[in-house]
Amino acid sequence: MLHVALANIKVYARRYIAAILAVAIGTAFLGASLAVDTSTRATLKNSVGEYYKTADLVAFRDWKSSAYGEDGDQPLTMDVLEAVRALPEVKTAYGSSSYAVNLRTDNDMYNAWLIPISPEHRYSGVNLIEGRAPMSESEATIDQKYAEQTGLGIGDQVAIEGAGEEGGLQEVRIVGLSAATNDPFKSAMMQLGVSEGSWEFLLGEGADLDEIMVNGTGDTAQTRSALQQLLGDQSVRSATVLTADEKVIADVANLTNGTEQLTMVLLIFALVALVVTGLVVMNTFAVVIAQRTRELALLRTLGAKRKQIRSSVLTEALLIGIVASAIGVAAAVGLMAGLVKLLQLMVPEMSYATLGVDWKVVAIPLLIGILMTVLAAWLPARRAMKLAPLAALRPFDAASVKNRSGRIRIVFGALLAIAGSAGLVAGALIESLPVAFLGGLLSFPGILMLASLFVPSTVYGIGKLFAGNKVAGKLAALNSVRNPGRTTATATALLIGVTLVSMIMVGGQSAKTSLNQGISEEYPIDLMVQTGVLDDSEVTRLAAIDGIAAVAPYEVTQAMINLDDGELDDSYLLVVDPQVLATVIQDESAIPQDGELVFTNWSYTESETAQVAGHDLQVKVSTASYLSNMITQNTARDLALPTDDLNGGAMLRLDDAVSANQLSDIVERIAEVLDVESASIFGGAMESAMFSQIIDVLLMIVSGLLAVAVLIALIGVANTLSLSVLERTRENALLRALGLKKKQLRSMLAVEAVLIGGVAALLGLVLGTIYGLFGAYSTLAQIGQVRFDIPWLQLALVIGVSIVAALLASLAPSRRAARLSPVEGLATE
Amino acid sequence: MSQETTVHTDYAVQARGLTKTYGHDSTRVEALKGVDVSFARSRFTAIMGPSGSGKSTLMHCLAGLDSADSGEIVIGGKNLMQLSDDQLTEMRREQIGFVFQSFNLVPTINARENILLPLALAGKKHDEQWFEQVVGILGLGDRLAHKPHELSGGQQQRVAVARALLTRPEVVFGDEPTGNLDSRTGAEVLSLLRASTREMGQTIIMVTHDPVAASYADEVLLMKDGQLVGRLAEPTVASVTDALTSLAE
Repeated sequence: MLHVALANIKVYARRYIAAILAVAIGTAFLGASLAVDTSTRATLKNSVGEYYKTADLVAFRDWKSSAYGEDGDQPLTMDVLEAVRALPEVKTAYGSSSYAVNLRTDNDMYNAWLIPISPEHRYSGVNLIEGRAPMSESEATIDQKYAEQTGLGIGDQVAIEGAGEEGGLQEVRIVGLSAATNDPFKSAMMQLGVSEGSWEFLLGEGADLDEIMVNGTGDTAQTRSALQQLLGDQSVRSATVLTADEKVIADVANLTNGTEQLTMVLLIFALVALVVTGLVVMNTFAVVIAQRTRELALLRTLGAKRKQIRSSVLTEALLIGIVASAIGVAAAVGLMAGLVKLLQLMVPEMSYATLGVDWKVVAIPLLIGILMTVLAAWLPARRAMKLAPLAALRPFDAASVKNRSGRIRIVFGALLAIAGSAGLVAGALIESLPVAFLGGLLSFPGILMLASLFVPSTVYGIGKLFAGNKVAGKLAALNSVRNPGRTTATATALLIGVTLVSMIMVGGQSAKTSLNQGISEEYPIDLMVQTGVLDDSEVTRLAAIDGIAAVAPYEVTQAMINLDDGELDDSYLLVVDPQVLATVIQDESAIPQDGELVFTNWSYTESETAQVAGHDLQVKVSTASYLSNMITQNTARDLALPTDDLNGGAMLRLDDAVSANQLSDIVERIAEVLDVESASIFGGAMESAMFSQIIDVLLMIVSGLLAVAVLIALIGVANTLSLSVLERTRENALLRALGLKKKQLRSMLAVEAVLIGGVAALLGLVLGTIYGLFGAYSTLAQIGQVRFDIPWLQLALVIGVSIVAALLASLAPSRRAARLSPVEGLATE
Repeated sequence: MSQETTVHTDYAVQARGLTKTYGHDSTRVEALKGVDVSFARSRFTAIMGPSGSGKSTLMHCLAGLDSADSGEIVIGGKNLMQLSDDQLTEMRREQIGFVFQSFNLVPTINARENILLPLALAGKKHDEQWFEQVVGILGLGDRLAHKPHELSGGQQQRVAVARALLTRPEVVFGDEPTGNLDSRTGAEVLSLLRASTREMGQTIIMVTHDPVAASYADEVLLMKDGQLVGRLAEPTVASVTDALTSLAE
């Protein structure tokens, strides 16, 4: 049957284009996610492993070993290094260290890593690019990057201050420049190379080497055991000997915990994209097989067994899976290679970025892509298998297709949806994100399984609502649900992406609003600057800055505060004018009146009065935890509390419409006026801007990742529509013959696409909003009060984009349908 | 019907010098080689001829489904050759009716909606009295709510006939309208078509290769190799069969 499958693919190649595209994008996403991980590792290997590049073995004291630092655990000293060099199995050996020392010139001082260099032993992993290695105790090398930064060069005389109790001081001349290191552990400071003798002199006898790198004379295993033997003899009990590769892997593992999480996140999104791809593939095969009913039944009549029919269909799926996955993997590798190249070009410090592609990056997406394609074709193939030979002789009526939703699927879906929803509600009630997340994870697939119950009816209902009396609209509504299973699968693919996008939009927006609310409660002042007491001209100039609505200067005093439940020594008190303060503060409870002490809740009291400098003041507790306690100017005068010109500052309120970009400008201007560092300006507005920015960036990244799934789903819409158009060639030709204009035909198909796409987006939006609100509540309720905020504009944009994209998806199929002349169309079987 | 009195005095469809060629060079087929033909109003005409004689091409061109290479076709005073696609489409839904061999009903909508489809496409209201009359003559009264797949072949074809008649078109084209029906149902449909010319004054042009079907027509046109080669008035099964046999020689 292989030749039948091949012939089918050849004949129907065009019908598979969309499916191939979808599978290719899905696998490319997966491949690229994996390649991010391997490339990060390769890049780190290239930088971390720099030091070991020429070595066979690395001996080091393993701090995870139980013997580390115990009595009798000897350090790796220069003496040990000498002993290692004396071994017959060792050709060369050198040590590395991470002692930081000071390098002094006449005017400046720099920090530097002190590296022992041995010219006889391959320069100790240091790559000299100019001059020569230090031959005596009065010579040194520095690395090129810091040579440029400091202006030091060959011939310059500098002094090195050693470290430790026995460390000495040495005058040296720079005789060589080494290449800058890419090792992230070492690149933060100057690489200062000195002779091994100097190293020991500067750090004292018994200074500890980090590692000893060894090149053997023969068999690495032999060298390794000899080295282990020697280290044991020298009582370096915590010593471990690894090959250079093993050591690099261990180091990289320490550094890549973070990237592993990144990879996990990417893989989750890749999984979403693949599920959507699966739906598109399933639909393609369902349609292609429906179109081929007669042909398949004919094969059965001619003696093909049921299994042969199925395997013929699955063979087609296999071939398509192989081709599409191969394209996808190639695209992923190409994309990553491009990104790495771009990184190398755009960011000079990342010139060591390396494309890492191992067998997993190629094999896993290839395998999963193929497997997924075959699995997605399984159900349609089963349906093909069940065809009776008689079907070949019956006229095939496209309208009579009824997909009976599997009862098991409905029951299972309902159970999942109910259990998941319960989890979602429970998660919100007990304010636990993991419980709510699990609830969402269960209920979403459950709802998707039930999609056949509500998607077609919604599509039809909305279609009828909008069609009015237009025939093309009515026909479009009918057409969009004539095969409910197909419509459901197409819409579901889009619904998944839109649900997730709108979930994070609603969740993110609610998080942003809730956090901002929390910030403004605890930090009722937009901006605050602490410097000396401001003079009138400074206040005027601040108030004149564009975007600043009001300025309230304050002074500072110190006093002992006695409360019923405790006392505060030398507590700072802000001294303010309540009328002026009221112009900048958003929270009335934080404004003191004469005779009152505003007690901000960074420490706790239940006391109603406070004794300050021998007087009783009324305590007014405020939620503003980031401010100091406050009294009025009159109170300060009455209590005879002294203020001085050095301690004071200003609180500022911003105009409502200030954006994050304008904020940084305003901060700069304030810093200019008061002649302070802009970093000394803080306040609620800064905190809000920071949080908002973080959330916005996260939302953008996640939306971008989900956009892949949405893109695949839209390919699915175009796919379903163009296959349906092929299936209905005859019917469309008939309508044309009976007087349907080309434009009407095109608009009929456009309406069909928009109905499916729009309803999927609408349902996704509703679901996503619910998930987003539950998620935000479960996460944020622990932190403080939750403010629900729905970003209507963004959600409207999602619907708009979905509808426009569905329209675009209908362009190609409807143009093809309109181009066909009625005679040709009516002649097709 | 007022048209009954003017039966032979004017023409519903006229064509002059129609040519149509398919393919290029070696695959070139001249389907129509300059056909001149007129169809009188309120007459039932059958076009016959062996396979490849060009009878289907002629009908497709006359009906505005396909375009001829040259010549002119006049229906209801308009030259089809000068119309744009949209104008042609409007022409089809207002002036021309179709009955196809394989019924060709829209499967998603019921019989009533199928019958009303051309009017709905034009956004026009139908004349309920006329609708009742047509449906009554065709005996579809109790089948109107059924979807096409719930109807027998004969019933489906009667729905198609009703659809063609409802717009009171200038002409109804039939493309082997009985090809998919058994002889009894076929005879029923043909009687209905003939009745519509007699009682409603409808002009009908039918392509067929079945001498029995052709015998229901008022006149038979014979085609061969893209040209009209003969006419038979008041045809019978025997006279049509003889004529076809002589054509094959």
